[in-house]
Amino acid sequence: MITVRDLHKEYLVSEKGKGLGGTLKSLFRNEKKIIGAVNGLDFHVNKGEIVGFIGPNGSGKSTTIKMMTGILTPTSGEVLIDGRNIARYRKETVRKIGVVFGQRTQLNWDLRLEETFELLRRIYQIEKKDYLDILEVMDSILGIGELLDKPVRQMSLGQRVKGDLTAAMLHSPKVLFLDEPTIGLDAGSKYALRKFIKEINTIRGTTVILTTHDLGDIQELCERLIIINNGVMMDDGNLSEIVERIAPYRTLTVEYYDSIVPTHPKAEILSAADNVVRYKFMKRELTAARLISDLSSLHPIRDVGIEEAGIDDIIRIAYAKTVQS
Amino acid sequence: MFSSSFRKYLFICKTRIIRSFTYRFDVFGNILMQTIVMVTTAFFWKALFQDETFRNGITADNMMTYTIMSSVLSVLFTTGVERRIQESVEKGSIAIDLMRPVNVFGMFFAEDLGNLIALLFQNLLPILLLGSLLIKVPTIVSVSAIPMFAVSVILSMAINWLTAAIFGMWAFTAISMDALFQVKKHLIRLLSGSIIPIWFFPKWLAGILNALPFVYIYQLPLDIYIGSASNEEIQGRMLIQLIWVLILAALFYLFSKKSLKKVLVQGG
Repeated sequence: MITVRDLHKEYLVSEKGKGLGGTLKSLFRNEKKIIGAVNGLDFHVNKGEIVGFIGPNGSGKSTTIKMMTGILTPTSGEVLIDGRNIARYRKETVRKIGVVFGQRTQLNWDLRLEETFELLRRIYQIEKKDYLDILEVMDSILGIGELLDKPVRQMSLGQRVKGDLTAAMLHSPKVLFLDEPTIGLDAGSKYALRKFIKEINTIRGTTVILTTHDLGDIQELCERLIIINNGVMMDDGNLSEIVERIAPYRTLTVEYYDSIVPTHPKAEILSAADNVVRYKFMKRELTAARLISDLSSLHPIRDVGIEEAGIDDIIRIAYAKTVQS
Repeated sequence: MFSSSFRKYLFICKTRIIRSFTYRFDVFGNILMQTIVMVTTAFFWKALFQDETFRNGITADNMMTYTIMSSVLSVLFTTGVERRIQESVEKGSIAIDLMRPVNVFGMFFAEDLGNLIALLFQNLLPILLLGSLLIKVPTIVSVSAIPMFAVSVILSMAINWLTAAIFGMWAFTAISMDALFQVKKHLIRLLSGSIIPIWFFPKWLAGILNALPFVYIYQLPLDIYIGSASNEEIQGRMLIQLIWVLILAALFYLFSKKSLKKVLVQGG
């Protein structure tokens, strides 16, 4: 469905000198510097996948999304959507994709929502019947029907994002790109958005690529994660597989009757306060049941709790790894 | 296929017209400004000419027609393309324009056309009316000059839009172009004959200006309108006007492909 091959994007940045002197100097001579935002990405996305594209701020993920959607032209390398190079055949190829930017809207601020949709219907040359069908589907998922008459400038962020999602789906794209779609949304709107993504993925078979900083989005939606930093790929794989690889441990919290700290040869003590001790152990070496029974044989236990390494740990470790390398 | 592709630009144009009318009140300021400039210029010429006649038979009456029609034409030469490009680059909304299956310049043109149609009612008619009431009714020199005037105005609009679009393309790569756009705007005002007809300039300067595209925006259609040049002269100048349209169209075509590859997207 989507193939990204050896993708590079460089920006030419003019360096301004410091202070008044530097500013004056740069009026006459600009020091130009080339900055690589994306430095050789290769990956393939299959039809029907939901891929989470994650990385810290400034990692190049938004630049990559913009090259994948035909907005920016790569310095070198190529993006193929359904076998077509989007940079070369932008006008034809963008018909196959829908894009939603969480931080900007494609809805016309001055018009009623339906008027933007009518404009898009003409731009994408959608038959009236198909258009009405899609609107009906969107109404059942997002409840867009009641917003059609509303001017966009009067909408809340949640309503606006619903409008943007519908706008992106009007021409039945094969791929939907979402760039930080849940940014700034309340819990209810986030829930609706995630439900929407799952539904169009299962019902219509739409391939979804999203960038996000929201761990809930990743956990609930993404089967596959692509982690990038400094414009290079850090990791690509199944969510659970990445968790297994990056953070193959769990934490056990044990509350004893007394203030005591029993040790275990295969578990590391993270903290001990009052009667509560936290142990970290490797999933491969030890089961939780084994650890609990070993500890309880040493000392009576009042209560236990087990935590998986959270997705936030994974992200933190994955990002930290990239800083070191 | 062609017609349905054409229809989408028509609809963009229509959407623009609807949009323009939602901001009805913005236009009053513009009408007021234009009227003040028009009336003062007209009375300036009247005071200057008294009852005398200029060397090529130009009278104060001609000059007032010239001034009114110059104001009217200035409405037709309103373009949004430079600002449109600059703003969308500045705000990053250029991303939205580029993710749609449209030729972006086709879209900018359709938008300008939509604005223009709205302006015909919001600006052109009021200015024509106010000019007729406050100064005089600006009648064309002869009925037979109407088709030539119309053709020339259309070519003028083409030169004007293409120049604006070519300038605007710079904004794809440089963020702040305000100063340059201002320079261009004032150059056109001064060098196109919009305020001062080129015949008042020294010969050598007029000669240079006649080689540049600007005089073919205002001066030529206005000369046709008030009949200040012979038919042969007009035909020769219209040919040059047409040549400028072709040159600018070629430059536009050449640059438009390249400039889109250099688009910068701010933020996000």
